[in-house]
Amino acid sequence: MSCLTDKFDRLRATYPPEMNSSLVLPLLHLMLREKGHLTESDAIFIADYLGVPAMQVKEALTWYTMLHRKPVGKHVIKVCRNIACSLMGAERIIDYLKQKLGIEAGETTPDGRFTLLLVECLASCGTAPAMQVSDTYHENLDEARIDHILKELS
Amino acid sequence: MTEPRVFFNFGITDDSHTLSAYRGRGGYQALEKALRTMQPLDVEKEVTTSGLRGRGGAGFPTGSKWSFVDKKSPVVYLCCNADEGEPGTFKDRWIFEHNSHQLVEGVLLAAYALNVRHAFIYIRGEFDLSYRRLLLALEEAREAGLVGERILGTEFSCDIIVHQGGGAYVCGEESSLLTSLEGFKGYPKNKPPFPAVKGLYQAPTVINNVETLATIPWIITHGGGAYAGIGAQNNTGTKLFGISGHVNKPGIHERPTGYPLKKIIFEDCGGILGGKALKAVIPGGSSTPVLKGFEIENVTLDAESVIKAGSMLGSGGIIVIAEGTCMVRLLQVLTRFYAHESCGQCTPCREGTAWMDKVIGRIVAGQGVKGDLERLEAVTSGIMGNTVCALGDAASMPVASFIKKFRDEFEYYIEHGRSMFDGRLEI
Amino acid sequence: MIELKIDNRTVEANEGETVLQAALRHGIEIPHFCYHPCLSIAGNCRICLVKVTGRPKLMPSCNLAVTPGMEIETDSDDVIAARQAVMQFITLNHPGECGICDKAGECRLQDYHVRYGEPESISLEPKNKKPKFYDISPRILLDSERCILCSRCVRFTKEVSGSHQLGIVERGNHSRLERLESQPMDDPYSDNIIGLCPVGALLSRDFLYQSRVWYLEPIRSVCTGCSRCCSVKVWRRNRHWHLRSLGEEMNRKVYRVTPQENREINGPWICNKGFDLHKFMGRKRLLQPMIGGSVATVDEALSEAKKLLAAAKSPAALVSAHASNEELAAFKETLGSRMTVYSREDYKAEEGEVVEDNILIRENKNPNSHGVHAMFGDLPWSVDSGHDLVLVWGDNVDYTPMGNAKVIHLASFEMPQERHADVLIPISTTFERSGSFTNFEGKVNRFTKVFDKPGLVQQAGDVFGRLGA
Repeated sequence: MSCLTDKFDRLRATYPPEMNSSLVLPLLHLMLREKGHLTESDAIFIADYLGVPAMQVKEALTWYTMLHRKPVGKHVIKVCRNIACSLMGAERIIDYLKQKLGIEAGETTPDGRFTLLLVECLASCGTAPAMQVSDTYHENLDEARIDHILKELS
Repeated sequence: MTEPRVFFNFGITDDSHTLSAYRGRGGYQALEKALRTMQPLDVEKEVTTSGLRGRGGAGFPTGSKWSFVDKKSPVVYLCCNADEGEPGTFKDRWIFEHNSHQLVEGVLLAAYALNVRHAFIYIRGEFDLSYRRLLLALEEAREAGLVGERILGTEFSCDIIVHQGGGAYVCGEESSLLTSLEGFKGYPKNKPPFPAVKGLYQAPTVINNVETLATIPWIITHGGGAYAGIGAQNNTGTKLFGISGHVNKPGIHERPTGYPLKKIIFEDCGGILGGKALKAVIPGGSSTPVLKGFEIENVTLDAESVIKAGSMLGSGGIIVIAEGTCMVRLLQVLTRFYAHESCGQCTPCREGTAWMDKVIGRIVAGQGVKGDLERLEAVTSGIMGNTVCALGDAASMPVASFIKKFRDEFEYYIEHGRSMFDGRLEI
Repeated sequence: MIELKIDNRTVEANEGETVLQAALRHGIEIPHFCYHPCLSIAGNCRICLVKVTGRPKLMPSCNLAVTPGMEIETDSDDVIAARQAVMQFITLNHPGECGICDKAGECRLQDYHVRYGEPESISLEPKNKKPKFYDISPRILLDSERCILCSRCVRFTKEVSGSHQLGIVERGNHSRLERLESQPMDDPYSDNIIGLCPVGALLSRDFLYQSRVWYLEPIRSVCTGCSRCCSVKVWRRNRHWHLRSLGEEMNRKVYRVTPQENREINGPWICNKGFDLHKFMGRKRLLQPMIGGSVATVDEALSEAKKLLAAAKSPAALVSAHASNEELAAFKETLGSRMTVYSREDYKAEEGEVVEDNILIRENKNPNSHGVHAMFGDLPWSVDSGHDLVLVWGDNVDYTPMGNAKVIHLASFEMPQERHADVLIPISTTFERSGSFTNFEGKVNRFTKVFDKPGLVQQAGDVFGRLGA
């Protein structure tokens, strides 16, 4: 954990000291990148580091949707299912991904490589339909592009 | 005379987002001008004169918002609202990806006007390239002495901190953004007090949208009067409109306010996909009431005109829906979204958004019954105006307007247990 | 003073007051779930919406500061419609299980449903399922389906007790109250949230399914757990509902102890020790007078005690800090001048107990040390004082240090001893007499008899009267 607290320290230095509590979300993000998913004990770890109530961090952990609380695959595919993407074929894209990966939304492939998640608007409405693989945006999707993207990840 | 452009005034290349490129087209000269020749109050005056209204959706006059703040307070905070999450809205992403420096300069100008030492940019956690481009711009600006201590050698110092959201639409609501920035789950706060009086950590705080702040450099360079001369009278300037949905060429267009809605759809965006007829338009992001195709005939893109037509200009995210689309299933996409994004704090929104989604879900599943539409209307009127923040209204307006405008389609679905248009969303 | 109009009635309000506070102070009822005078404003339940003349939207009166000339309507058509809507929302996923809910009869939601709700839900949807019987702590259960997420309990742990042990997790209509999984709630004030809960979501494990509340009645008493002397309500079975066939002990039982608001002393709260007061009082009682370990009548015991007192050359009295001011006065008048009087503290902090905090809990674990000291000084007794007779008044006594001195003991509870007292007289508990204690700040707090004392048990004041005669 000492390596982690070094990273915490560096991040903390970028905020004004009187805004200690503001570091809750940045530290959760940082820890998520390190660990893939977060549990209550991670929330307590951050709370202890910052000197804020553990419940404050736990509430945040369970409230923000980007913070995974279950193990996820190596590549997390987040497909937008909101209005503009829906008008441009999000349902078709989602069905294709389900079929291609052999899993339902919210699931991870047995080999642990892909997790398929449905998310709300990614602000890619002009380039719909869109998805994110881990952090990277992929837009103007069609079946061929998905084939290509998944192949590149292999 | 060519139309003045605040944003689309350069060609996008591989390095057009860099500091040297931005400086090459006059970037940071507004900051120089302000710091060397203007008092903070002069900056505010120019913004007030410009008539600029907030670009996030509510359209509150920016100068007026700034004027509420006690600049002599020991601490004043500025937060740039970059939690762009209103479905149909994707303009702020364009600014980040192509011209983050313009935003940074705008933030600095606002910070100078408001006596701000620490400014925050609360950016959507999902944003990737936008986030990286912003960090790059800040790094360049810091190295060039444009951000940090004694900016451009003057007495003015300001740090800009980029804070990533965690995936919550409601954090685009300004009090919710502040709660989130304070390290809590992002529950909106009851008003009063308003952020201008008691905001971040109880200090006076201004929250402005990305596009709003990125407009300030232009206003300082050309003067508030020049900006006020562009576009519609009570809703001045140019605005970024994002057109999505069933059009041939979706994307971002900068147009003066007062620009005809029909023209942007049929000329700038190449008309409806497959040459179909226009069924409906959601003119300002998913929360704004839907308009039927014929209702947009004389609508221009300014607050007054859109309100007159029965909707709102909102964030300028124009969603175009072609003939043949199932409005019942399309509404379900929205009710699911709002139920998912309701923060859970206040009763009407927490219970009501989920309730609406369940009823719509039941109708879509073919289990609708007579009285469901009246039930939905009762729920929307129970939510609207009765919640802590605007999310309740935002969730109710689409439901109320979809049912009002496309009642026959909903009734058909309920009566027959299936869609009048085969449930089509994609055309 | 600020003048405003509520429902066309001119009302005077204090600067900084909210419309809700002003209305309540003037007996104008505005329904409220999340508002509590001792907690921060949450404004989340939305049942207190009122109409303000000149404003387009209804405003939550709990967060609405009074301004001069303001005109408020609490019963206009739109206010009533909004209230009905909020009741529809609040009951949407609330299980209508008042029949098996301990809160029924003192439930705000039940009351408001009758007063402000519509008779039936307009919903056709199945209700949400959430955890029932979730263990908040070994003392408290949570029924999440009943919870209306008003956050009163959460704010209590943040703002009053400071433990921060409760929170609302998840979001939207998945939101629910939770503790930390790895740390069970051990907040010494936790039980206050049971009464604070406006619905039957937070339940006392001790009181669970013990009685319908309308069979009970509260008697005002004082907690003897420490020198704060908090006011409490001791709940006994209402006389009209006394049970005839299930055994008399059901009628003599304390069903629960809850806080009695007392602004001077404890505000609206007490600590968990106060909630357990009936357990403290329910320990094995001393019911039989004894002489040298043998059963005796009251008269025999008293005349033996009188004989010992007359024979003593250097008698001493150890006075209980659980004695009431009235009993102390009776003792002073009858016996006090004839013997050396020492004060004693019956109880000390037990292991694991909070010794003292800056909320309510005091280090002295006895209610009336202040009263004892005021009347007799605070001379502490020691083994070497050389007395040949000790009259010990109070509980938790060890005779060993008394050496060869004769012991006359007045006590309420049994306690095994190495030797027998020469005379042992059972006396009443705080629940069996009326009187007053003086708390550590010198504030007097009165308590009322809850039950009659058992047959052979004596009132200490009477005992002293007969011994001194």
